[in-house]
Amino acid sequence: MPLENVILTTENCRYCLMCRHVCPVGHVTRRESLTPHGWALMIASVGRGLLAWDEETVQALYSCSDCGTCRAHCVTDQPLPEAIAAARADVAARDLAPAVVYETHRALKEWGNPYEQQSPAPVEGQGEVALFVGDEARYLWPDALEAALKLLKAVGVEPVLIGVGRNNGYLASSLGFPSTARDLAGETLSELEATGATRLLVLGPGDFFTFSQLYDERLGIEWPSGVVLEEVVTFLAERLREGALAFRKAADGTPCAYVDPTHSVRVTTRYDAPRALLEAVLPAPARELFWRRERAHPCGNVALQFTEPHIARHLTYSRLADAAGVGARLVVTEDAGSLSHLARHAERFGLRVQGLYELLADHLA
Amino acid sequence: MKRALFQAEMIRSELEEIVGPAFISVEESDKLVYSTDWSWMPQMWLDRGRPLRTPDYIVHPASAEEISEIMEIANKYRIPVVPWGGGSGTQGGALPIFGGILVDTKRLDKIIEIDEKSLTVTAQAGIIGTQLEWALNEKGLTLPHYPASANCATLGGYLAPRGTGTISTKYGKAEDLVLSMEVVLPTGEIIHTPPVPQHASGPDFFRLFLGAEGTFGIITEATMQVDYLPEARLLRAVLFDDLHNALEAGRLMMTRRLDPFVIRLYDPASTLTRVRKILGYDFDGAYMVLGFDGDPDIAALQEQKAMEICARLGARDLGREPGEAWWAHRYDFYYPPQNLKLPWMYGTTETVTTYDRIEAVYYAEKKAVEEGFADWNVRFIGHFSHWFHWGVMLYSRFIIEEPPADAREALRLHNRVWNAAMQAVMANGGMINEHHGVGLKLARYMRRQYGSAWPFLLRLKRMIDPNGIMNPGKVGFGF
Ligand SMILES: Cc1cc2nc3c(=O)[nH]c(=O)nc-3n(C[C@H](O)[C@H](O)[C@H](O)COP(=O)(O)OP(=O)(O)OC[C@H]3O[C@@H](n4cnc5c(N)ncnc54)[C@H](O)[C@@H]3O)c2cc1C
Ligand code: SF4
Ligand code: SF4
Repeated sequence: MPLENVILTTENCRYCLMCRHVCPVGHVTRRESLTPHGWALMIASVGRGLLAWDEETVQALYSCSDCGTCRAHCVTDQPLPEAIAAARADVAARDLAPAVVYETHRALKEWGNPYEQQSPAPVEGQGEVALFVGDEARYLWPDALEAALKLLKAVGVEPVLIGVGRNNGYLASSLGFPSTARDLAGETLSELEATGATRLLVLGPGDFFTFSQLYDERLGIEWPSGVVLEEVVTFLAERLREGALAFRKAADGTPCAYVDPTHSVRVTTRYDAPRALLEAVLPAPARELFWRRERAHPCGNVALQFTEPHIARHLTYSRLADAAGVGARLVVTEDAGSLSHLARHAERFGLRVQGLYELLADHLA
Repeated sequence: MKRALFQAEMIRSELEEIVGPAFISVEESDKLVYSTDWSWMPQMWLDRGRPLRTPDYIVHPASAEEISEIMEIANKYRIPVVPWGGGSGTQGGALPIFGGILVDTKRLDKIIEIDEKSLTVTAQAGIIGTQLEWALNEKGLTLPHYPASANCATLGGYLAPRGTGTISTKYGKAEDLVLSMEVVLPTGEIIHTPPVPQHASGPDFFRLFLGAEGTFGIITEATMQVDYLPEARLLRAVLFDDLHNALEAGRLMMTRRLDPFVIRLYDPASTLTRVRKILGYDFDGAYMVLGFDGDPDIAALQEQKAMEICARLGARDLGREPGEAWWAHRYDFYYPPQNLKLPWMYGTTETVTTYDRIEAVYYAEKKAVEEGFADWNVRFIGHFSHWFHWGVMLYSRFIIEEPPADAREALRLHNRVWNAAMQAVMANGGMINEHHGVGLKLARYMRRQYGSAWPFLLRLKRMIDPNGIMNPGKVGFGF
């Protein structure tokens, strides 16, 4: 994002309080400075010489979860998360970011992911349909991928896998390294091109947002015009509606809640699909969380897990507490990163975590 | 270590013992963000690159008991305590102008009980309006206080300055919806007001905390009356050639008790500028939105009677669309970049008076502002949006698009415009404010507004807050 746009956005947001109520970080920290207008005022105040980027302010700058909830609620669509990412890029370029930011960046540059010291797997084969795996489904919750492939096979789709073990570029962008994000995006797009696919399936809304919006807005990369992007849940829900996919009802009646995964608020057309799929297997309707659909908070699998792990943990706690509060004993979601973060702390809230794809795959009719 | 620094550290440690290390901050970024609320004066000051007085400590207590202990410390060291809800106040009420302890109430956000039989909700005072509303909506209920600030204001912040919402004409102001409260007094006692407000068991002392804007203590919990979400909401708009007939139409609807939930009447200047800009309508005249809700048959009949009144007074029926579009986009007026924003100078000089005086107040204020500040190309706009049986609120605003660049000069000009507006209002029988409160901005008019009753109010303040710790400088107290 060019500097003028950062300034314009933060000038707009710095005294606006209209989306503060949905900001998850504001919600868990209660600090006015860690809310949309707080960050905007902080960036604007650095510009005016009222604050300087020092250890304390930089830490605050890296406390935004880059979840997009503010923008999703903004009547005038102010790109505040993009402006915050751009301010981080400025800070990072001046060597002012916390050490952990550079460490994570180094891992992204070297391995393409922050989790394992392994390079992305090469792409094998060609086909009409490709599926982007990414790093979370490769390293944090591989069962989701396996189950999704089984479900796709059931409707006659056997996609070529791309980006196996590689971050989609969101993390580098969020941490303030747009050129690394661009490199990662470039590699993914080359792989996609090599497959010859005309449809790219993704496992969750984070990938969907990154490919459909972030590439263009933050990185200036155009999505290939001949390739349709679709989430696996949306694709499967459509097959279910057409009658091409059927499930057996699960026998287990444990009270269950569906958790909209991280970044859901950025893909507003997706809310009904996972619910329709879940309804097809659950013996009783899933419970709805308070923070759901267009107000769903992230589950912790954002850059904060590296920069401010205690805030990320509280985001996870908050989702779990919400689920426990509506009487659930089981939480279900499909996104690998969300699943892995929820599972780390679920027991503390008396909850069990289940992947949506796995649940569906186990109940294929 | 200097003595003052030592004392500051002692106070910090004592506060930390109360709220815990995660819930106290003395960091510069926090201090800066808490140094301004939503009033123009401090925002302009920061905008021109000038620092403001910041709080010395920001604390986030989780209970009335913790607040009570904070009061003890403030009394011991004689330092100010400034309650902060959402910081969305427009009057500088939450500004820490003398430093001290800023008490952010947002951790007090629990809903304690929703009574679906008596239709009440009991909640802690730091809950954000929209979050409370969402929770009520899950049960088919609503708290019928719909301020444009619901996304950012707290329940305590609704009550402390006696707020008004979009549908208050039918359902009452925030103060009309409250049944009882828990309050931490400046002396640290935690008190509960009687369980219901309508009784004959002694004086109605709980109203003292409504409009005190945190100068009499901190509201920590409130029981509010709620309603069922209405079965029908009928909206429609009409256009009058002039304000006089439009005001008369509103008066007739109210005095005949047609029970509209909204009568939003924009003066011709507002219709031409704000309504055009936000809603895109090109109306020439006074645009009025009317709303009736509840049982569909009753609402339809009320609307029919209201339309008869409007027709008799020469209004043109614009149909449903411009009414429904206003309802759907009523908060869009507050989103940047289409809201009023810096570097412009603006002020909402809203007031309330009886029907016999409202036109005099409107024209006197308009004249004082437009003629007094013509050199600054001032604009004066207004709408009438909260109607009583006896009178109406005028939401008037002045706007100067090119104010002085120098912060001090800008502030002086701003205060002069306010002064001209308030003098005109008071001279014609209007109140200095209807719903935003007094805060810092209007403190200097309280003596004149209250006249012979002012010394009595001062005595009350001294009795309730003997050390003058609570939100000094606000509502006219504490200088
Ligand atoms: C976009 C926007 C639109 C607005 N629209 C409206 C509207 O339609 N109607 C309306 O009435 N107002 C409106 N306002 C003004 C303002 O939001 C309201 O007055 C609001 O109710 C203030 O709530 P708050 O929690 O933000 O209070 P703050 O701004 O934090 O505080 C306001 C005052 O109350 C005191 N206070 C706060 N909490 C407590 C407590 N628990 N106990 C004691 N004192 C306390 C503070 O010290 C301060 O003096 C608007 C403001 C904005 C930003
Ligand atoms: S993103 Fe929109 S709603 Fe949020 S602070 Fe900015 S302008 Fe306001
Ligand atoms: S991106 Fe998320 S955490 Fe950051 S300001 Fe917006 S809502 Fe808050």
